[in-house]
Amino acid sequence: MKLVLVGLSHKTAPLAVRECLAPPPEAVGGELERCAALPGVREAFLVSTCNRVEALAVLDDQADPGVVTGWLAADRGVGPDQIEPHLYAHQDLDAVRHLYRVASSLDSLVVGEPQILGQIKEAYRAATEAGTSRAVLNRLLHKTFQVAKRVRSETNIGGAAVSISFAAVELAKKIFDSLEGLTAMVVGAGEMAELALEHLVGQGVSRVLVANRTLDRAVELARPFGGEALELGELPRVLGSVDIVITSTGAMLPVISLEMARQALKKRRGRPLFFIDIAVPRDVAQEVGELDGCYLYDIDDLSSVVEAGKASRAEAAEEAERIVAEEVVKFMAWLKGLEAVPTISALSVKAEHIRTAELNRTLKDLGISDPEQAAALDRLTQALVKKLIHDPIMFVKHASHDKSDDTRREQLALVRRIFNIEENGQD
Amino acid sequence: MSTVLHWATLIAYVAGGLVSIAYLGKQRAGLYRMGLAVLWVGFGLHSAALAAAWAQDGMLPAANLRQSLDLFSWAIMGAALVVNLRLDLKIMGAVAGPLCALMLLAASVLPKVQGVTSPAFKSLWIVAHVLAIMAGYGLLALTFLGGVLYLLQDHALRAKKLGPVFQRLPSLGRLDSLSHTSLVAGFLLMTIGLITGAVYAQMTLGSYWRWDPKEVWALITWLLYAALLHTRLVQGWRGRRGAWLALAAFAVLVFTFLGAGLLFPGYHSFASLAGFGGATP
Repeated sequence: MKLVLVGLSHKTAPLAVRECLAPPPEAVGGELERCAALPGVREAFLVSTCNRVEALAVLDDQADPGVVTGWLAADRGVGPDQIEPHLYAHQDLDAVRHLYRVASSLDSLVVGEPQILGQIKEAYRAATEAGTSRAVLNRLLHKTFQVAKRVRSETNIGGAAVSISFAAVELAKKIFDSLEGLTAMVVGAGEMAELALEHLVGQGVSRVLVANRTLDRAVELARPFGGEALELGELPRVLGSVDIVITSTGAMLPVISLEMARQALKKRRGRPLFFIDIAVPRDVAQEVGELDGCYLYDIDDLSSVVEAGKASRAEAAEEAERIVAEEVVKFMAWLKGLEAVPTISALSVKAEHIRTAELNRTLKDLGISDPEQAAALDRLTQALVKKLIHDPIMFVKHASHDKSDDTRREQLALVRRIFNIEENGQD
Repeated sequence: MSTVLHWATLIAYVAGGLVSIAYLGKQRAGLYRMGLAVLWVGFGLHSAALAAAWAQDGMLPAANLRQSLDLFSWAIMGAALVVNLRLDLKIMGAVAGPLCALMLLAASVLPKVQGVTSPAFKSLWIVAHVLAIMAGYGLLALTFLGGVLYLLQDHALRAKKLGPVFQRLPSLGRLDSLSHTSLVAGFLLMTIGLITGAVYAQMTLGSYWRWDPKEVWALITWLLYAALLHTRLVQGWRGRRGAWLALAAFAVLVFTFLGAGLLFPGYHSFASLAGFGGATP
């Protein structure tokens, strides 16, 4: 059994490639089922945010790790050769460490930003619903959540965290000076949009608009801010009265076109219009950023805004890395232990099988019908078997600790040969 | 007396400018306030120097290029300090200090052409004419400054390279306020200056307008600023287009101030100002 993680992030791939690879949210379940059906794949998990796509799979020992890459790159409208240079692949220990680091927000665009954990939880829910997360991934993901929580509570990483939306506020201040009395609109009612709105209103934005594909969700999000809810069709009408637009829809095509922005600017009579596009794929047509009076920042552009706070977070990050390393060791110990489980259970099953067969034959041959005598014999055989297989089981259990992968596998194979145990299903 | 004050002013402007630049580097609020305070002191010294020169010559010290540059420098510093009371642009001292110091230095090396005291220069009308034009120019220089900084900040925002320069430049909104305020006030003062000049010309020379080269160029400048104001207020040209237009208008203004006075003969030219008294055509 091995863990394979393949992915790409803001560190390795430009936005254009990430856009191609990110599946629409409703398709994740299907993707996971497709992956789990591949040869040698036991479990699968896929997390896709605007900054990263990570595929994690549990494979049979002899399976080719390349299947995960193949799965990730298939049917994306671009050749695998265009994606592969941007991909990284980690196995076992490194895969676990990477997942822990991502969840603890150590690998984030804005180190310490809290949203990634929620996104991983969401992805885990999708994997359990699709039935592709079982013993190993269940344990790993639950551990991951604990690690992220530990990092957050034991280090100062969250305290210094500057979220993307906070960076957006800083930028807006460089354009409008003060946000007092401005109008902000979010397009697409996601969690990120909600967070951004909170920041903006906290900075003095007085009027809030929420546009969404479904009006119900827009109303729900707008209510706490005393905002107005809109349908996407109303965008051209209201855009001229808005100062800051944050887009985060899951739409595959831009919802704000060049023409729409141009019309809005005309109505604004020279007042600038600031677009923050945190959606992947992007929601605002790229040419909009070239218009006089329009400023367009996508998720990658925001990274440069937050460079400043990096130094203060470096120390907290170091501490967090230590926690991650510690937890990786713990999980790997568990995972190695897991490899011994099938051998142990097979050994117990075989011993029990022999015991009951021999016991029944003896009871029949001797014609023993007294339940008291039968119970005594049962106890005797149980004790015998238990004592006989105790040492081998202890040997197998210890074999999983403090040994190299090869030694461990050899020893397990030897035990199986001695007791003539077939290799069978492990869960 | 005025010479001592002149050099004291220069020292204060250089010192205030340096402290303000140090503030930009270190970002300590104390340095910012100190820089501005030193510049205010310099401005006070400058005003005193000009008053002393006025008292000494018996007329407004604007008779030659040397004095005019001196006066222009004073107007820019005054406009910068007063406007900054409201807009609080953190970069103002670091720009206005060195700029005005340079202008003063340039004025210092120019030849001292002794103006002839003429009764024509003692009229309150000409004082109003020169002071209004100069104050207007000082404010319009701030419009130019606002335009330059706007273009820099706009470029930084678009290039998405948000380094230390970006952090220290004022926001676009504030720069827009600077351009707007200084443009409206500067245009108003320039208009007043032109009107008082025309009225005075009518009183002394018998006609409001004599197509003197400086008058023509001043008219061109005024029309350009009228266009700038119009496009800003009516068409909403406040972004890059407005900033570029402000740059172009200021280039013409500088030519009007320097070129038209030096290149063309006429009763406004610096060469003939000394002999001005109604004798020149």
